[in-house]
Amino acid sequence: MNWKNVLRLISVNVKASRIIRGARFRRFRENKIVTCALYIGAFALGLLVGWLVGSFFAGITDSTFKQLVLDGATNLFVTLPTIALLYGLVFTQMSQFQRIGVKASIEPLYWLPITWKEHTLASIIANMLGAPLIITTFVCSSILTASLFLGLAPLAVFTVPMLSASLFLASITTEAFKVLQVRISGAVTKAAGRAAVWVRLIGSILFFIIFYIIYFSLYYSVSPLALIESVAGGQRILWFIPYLWPGIALSAFAAGLWPETAIFLSASAFFIYLLFLAAVSLNVKFGLYEAPSIKVSRGVYVPRAGLLGRLGFSPLEAAIIRKDLRAFTRRHELMYIFIFPIIFIIMPLLSAMRGGTAAPSTFSSFLFIYLTLLPGTLMAVILGSIIVGSEGGSVRFMYSTPISAKSLVKAKYSFTVLFSLFVIIVCSFVACILTAPSIRAAVIGFAEAVFLLFPLAMVSLACGIKGADFRELPPRPRMIRPVWSLINMIVCAVAGLTIIAPLIPYGVQRVFQLFIATSFLPDYYLYAALPLSGVIATAITYAASKIALNSAEELLRKAEQ
Amino acid sequence: MTSSLAVKLSSVSKRYGDVTAVDYLDLEVKRGEIFGLLGPNGSGKSTTLKMILGLVKPDSGFVNVLGVNVEDDPVGVKRKMGYVPESPRIYEFLTGLEFLDFTGDVYGVAPEEKKKRIEEFVRALDLEGREGDIISSYSEGMKQKVVIISALMHKPELLLLDEPLSGLDPKSARIVKDLLRGLALQGVTTIMSTHILEIAQAMCDRIAIMYGGRLLALGTMNELRQKAKMPESGLEDIFLKLTGTGDVKPIVEALMK
Repeated sequence: MNWKNVLRLISVNVKASRIIRGARFRRFRENKIVTCALYIGAFALGLLVGWLVGSFFAGITDSTFKQLVLDGATNLFVTLPTIALLYGLVFTQMSQFQRIGVKASIEPLYWLPITWKEHTLASIIANMLGAPLIITTFVCSSILTASLFLGLAPLAVFTVPMLSASLFLASITTEAFKVLQVRISGAVTKAAGRAAVWVRLIGSILFFIIFYIIYFSLYYSVSPLALIESVAGGQRILWFIPYLWPGIALSAFAAGLWPETAIFLSASAFFIYLLFLAAVSLNVKFGLYEAPSIKVSRGVYVPRAGLLGRLGFSPLEAAIIRKDLRAFTRRHELMYIFIFPIIFIIMPLLSAMRGGTAAPSTFSSFLFIYLTLLPGTLMAVILGSIIVGSEGGSVRFMYSTPISAKSLVKAKYSFTVLFSLFVIIVCSFVACILTAPSIRAAVIGFAEAVFLLFPLAMVSLACGIKGADFRELPPRPRMIRPVWSLINMIVCAVAGLTIIAPLIPYGVQRVFQLFIATSFLPDYYLYAALPLSGVIATAITYAASKIALNSAEELLRKAEQ
Repeated sequence: MTSSLAVKLSSVSKRYGDVTAVDYLDLEVKRGEIFGLLGPNGSGKSTTLKMILGLVKPDSGFVNVLGVNVEDDPVGVKRKMGYVPESPRIYEFLTGLEFLDFTGDVYGVAPEEKKKRIEEFVRALDLEGREGDIISSYSEGMKQKVVIISALMHKPELLLLDEPLSGLDPKSARIVKDLLRGLALQGVTTIMSTHILEIAQAMCDRIAIMYGGRLLALGTMNELRQKAKMPESGLEDIFLKLTGTGDVKPIVEALMK
């Protein structure tokens, strides 16, 4: 193993990560002091926290409480390797997900005189850098400092290498998993043939649904103390899982069981080495893997007028809408758009399952309004703002073809509206099933969602054209400049509030009615407020359409200037 | 503008910051002509093509295409043109067929005509069997074929080709060359920018050599030979002499040391 090669490769990987995060830089080698600043800061913060904890402990006079804190600290120490494993897995996996699609940036390594062992080790270490190592630095410096006051210095000193070993273990696992993941998804894609597009789409959506369910479940139900207690107790029972061996070795050390400590320490080292060799061999076998092509059709071409043609769209506009629909079902970075409404449905449901403190009727009304209005309109806001920028580098094709500004705006707007309308219908249906609202409430909710949809989609499209960012830098295309994304959010919030303003007094009255039997609005108020809301929505849509059209004309006129 | 001219550039210039890409260029291209634009890297060829297409707005001067000022009716002019860019950026998430279907609709080709043209071109350029695959899995040459088909499918009056044959296999390159010749006989004008001088010499009726954004020489091969005072020479020697980049021997010798 050429260690100089490993160090150079780590630099390359770190650089790649910085590019992926969108960091701007000029030189290959960064300023070491700046690079280390975060680690030094984490170390200093750890010293401070450790000193504070230690001082607190030193100030305790009650011996029972002192013993309780001491037992808690010992528990925490022996739990740390397993916790490090968990956060190490989370962070290194997240980092790998970010790198998907930028494989080409590391390909030159494959034809340079570098061994697979060097490449794998460098990748593993580079994965650990950043958030995982910053947290580890902070934790290590905290426990080392606090242990001086607690009288647990030997245990703390032993915790540091075990914690680092667990982090290393997490990173090796991610490296091995990364190669397997690419290979398996490629194999599925190849086997699926025409269905590969849907396999990828549904797979991506399912992955995120599962991820968010786990995330929200943890967020809502697990406290740190409960986690420490369960890990401390659980890892000795689950001794046969190699990933827990560093923690068990530490636990045995804390209990003074020296033979057991030696056995689990050796076993941990052996397992790490084995896993490293497995990661290397996986890289050797699948590291140069090329994704197979997806065959969507067998080449029999049948031109169709299609539904869009019958809806009154010109062939050009229909072609753009069809192309955008295909983009959203095939481009990985755009598939995530589908996940937004699903998250919005999952979040309140998990919250409801947890058992809220709000009265059922209040929660039910809130859930109905939330599900009917938010997912669809937010989808329109997001989709409208990125739909033009999502053209990426291919926008040059748009420039060179006879597409007028009017056709472009009409096609993009129609796609945004149709797509978001579908979301509104689905979410309203789910909301009706979950909350069983009155027919009047359901009609008002749906009508208001539609009133919000049309203007907000147009406002977002106008902002999306004005702030379109066609750069396709890793890890994903930019689509809209951040400042325009912010402007879009603000303008949409103002426009949305203006549209629902006539209905706000009615909402306020309904809230009051939950507590006291009062009615300060005339009976016909709602029937006047709803059309007024529609008129405001139409006016905003019209104004925004003029801006969108002008912006589109400017965009096409400027082309490559 | 007379009807015999397909393209007329009058004192057209374009600057990017301090760099002058095109410097007061005057150029006339006749209908039915295959016109070659040659020049070293950065000589302004691609910018000139983009100005004709309306992608780049000139800082000064006028671009007249098929009797219409490009700035007056950019969409109408584009409808009559076919364009093959130097590095095609096409929708890689579509299949070859879907992309051609899309471009056919964009150019307003009737469905039956579109089907016929796509089938003919796919067969002629050896894309059969791969036309249903996602474009991202295509080689550069295959992508180039798809772009060439998309530029020709709507039977344009003017073709703008920026390095059209790069990446093509010999058979496909031959088909495209013969096709352009045939289209020229039908009155279709072709303006192509290329670095492959043999292609320019073999295909083009007239050749313009650009350097530093200016027109260095313009004419048929014989006229260029006379201008360079190299009666027996090929285009490569003439090009190197006219652009002042001919003396490469000292450079090669230095590199070999």
